[in-house]
Amino acid sequence: MSGHDAHLQQFLEEEKRKAVFNEVVAKLTETCFEKCVTYAPGSKFSSSESSCLTNCALRYLESGQVILGRLQNMGQ
Amino acid sequence: MSNGEQNPEAVMHQVKAELANAYAQEFFTTVRDKCFAKCVTKPSGSMSSGESACLEKCVDRYVEATKMISHVVLQAYQRGGQ
Repeated sequence: MSGHDAHLQQFLEEEKRKAVFNEVVAKLTETCFEKCVTYAPGSKFSSSESSCLTNCALRYLESGQVILGRLQNMGQ
Repeated sequence: MSNGEQNPEAVMHQVKAELANAYAQEFFTTVRDKCFAKCVTKPSGSMSSGESACLEKCVDRYVEATKMISHVVLQAYQRGGQ
């Protein structure tokens, strides 16, 4: 592989990583905005909305771990 | 993309531009979906000032929520969670 190709390869992997990250964030925001912002949005988030968004994102990620663990158990 | 002899810088530039464009389009579609649902609950003959004010605030909050969550996810990943 030439230097150029290696460099390009590295660039593409980095962009892919960023795209996956953005996708996770987009999915979480969609789900959690729906759950946490129950009324017409105001000029700023209330403290309960803010903490709901943060908790929702973290619990969503954690849920993935739990579900993955369960599914892996089934495969064995 | 034309022939194989493009310089890598140009390819990278194009990839970045296309990804940014795809992201922006998808973001727009999602925000319109979410905010329309929250703000235009009973569509009438014309959009009320209350509805458009709600849409504007909704966009601001959605952008804010995206930033908050991206921060949270980044921290969770760094803690080795994944």
